Amino acid sequence: MSQRDLVAELRAARIEAPANVRAHVRLIAAADTTPPRRRVTWRRALVVALPVAAAVAATIAVTRPTHHNAVQHRGAIERATAPSATDQTFGAQKAVPAPSTTRVQRYGATIRLRVADPAAVSDGVTRAIRIARSLGGFENAVHTNLTGENGTADLTLRIPRANVQQAVARLTKLGTVTSEQVDITDLTAGLSQADRTIARLQRRLAALRAQHAPPAQIAALTQQIQRLQRGESATKRSAHYATVRMHLGTPPHVVDHHYVRNGIVLGACVLVLLLVGFLAARAVRRRREDALLSRS
Amino acid sequence: MTFAQAAEAHLDDVYGYLAWFTGDRAAADDLAGETFERALRLWHRFDPERGSVRTWLCQVARTVALDHFRAEKRRTRREQLAAQHERVDERFVEGLAPDLEAALHSLSAGEREVVALRIVLELDAGTAARVLGITPTNCTTRLNRALKKLEEALDVAA
Repeated sequence: MSQRDLVAELRAARIEAPANVRAHVRLIAAADTTPPRRRVTWRRALVVALPVAAAVAATIAVTRPTHHNAVQHRGAIERATAPSATDQTFGAQKAVPAPSTTRVQRYGATIRLRVADPAAVSDGVTRAIRIARSLGGFENAVHTNLTGENGTADLTLRIPRANVQQAVARLTKLGTVTSEQVDITDLTAGLSQADRTIARLQRRLAALRAQHAPPAQIAALTQQIQRLQRGESATKRSAHYATVRMHLGTPPHVVDHHYVRNGIVLGACVLVLLLVGFLAARAVRRRREDALLSRS
Repeated sequence: MTFAQAAEAHLDDVYGYLAWFTGDRAAADDLAGETFERALRLWHRFDPERGSVRTWLCQVARTVALDHFRAEKRRTRREQLAAQHERVDERFVEGLAPDLEAALHSLSAGEREVVALRIVLELDAGTAARVLGITPTNCTTRLNRALKKLEEALDVAA
């Protein structure tokens, strides 16, 4: 028998389901109450989500630094950027300009310091206030923010201008200086002009009194003089204290790229292992089926 | 298409496939019912974009039949039957020449299965391969092997 004849004969011998089987299947089909088909089922979603979740978890576990590692990192950063023995004298060698002793100046300094951790921030704030008070000054404003592994503090200190240079030198030793700025505004010329104006008005006031000028006119001029004198005093008072703005902060969180790369590699390995496991299980199952079906 | 419509349209195909696969009409009677019960439970997962209803039903039938073979194997072990168990002497295919029917019994279940899918149900190689869980090339190779075995058995009988 040729293969063509063989196929034709096999094809012709179709089997029909007997009546009892047909009736049974119709009964089964009559119980169809299935809901509309879902394209995305929870099972399909799990098949994708579980391996991805495993890979992400592995990545996070490796990239997230432990407290020990975080401390080591910060320590490494601090060591790398900490002032050396030479730099320890930064405050002294590179001192801010000294205020003038003969002229009236508005003196302001802004310094930013980096410290190791939130505890150092808190400690730095306490010591800065102590420094200000020891030099005759006071703290005008203090804002501290400590959260977990990070911390910042902003202080506004008012230091007698005569002691500001010493104050800045001591304050810069509380951490690693990252920036320093000084602003000096000379007020002497303005005050001299105010003195001349006051003197002129006083001469005029004396003349008005000698001429028995109307009392209203004398009172107005007197008030003007007093206003100028009050302004002059306020300017001199404000210039007596220098303003030092200080910022303390912990270093930003550094992501170790080695950890990120290792985490990604580990996540990829997890995915590959899952895939290999799936393929191996499928191959084993298929082999068992073939063995089962090899019998008659 | 509703499930009832699908069952009515493809019952003969599924039943024929099971009869060829198991080589046993009585088993095919039982397994046909099981197949459609399982298919009803899984009907919500059928995706028409991935294949026809007939192919999907054949896949379900195959799973049911494999479970049957595994259960038979366990039962055989439990009863400690060393020799081949007695098959019910019943023709599972009507209308075949006696020598051809005898030659069919020489095929394994796996070989009968591929003949049923490719020849009797006239599924193409790709569809039959999907039911079997193998590649189309592998499916064609199995079919050729089965047909050659049939030819040899027929030549011997002749």
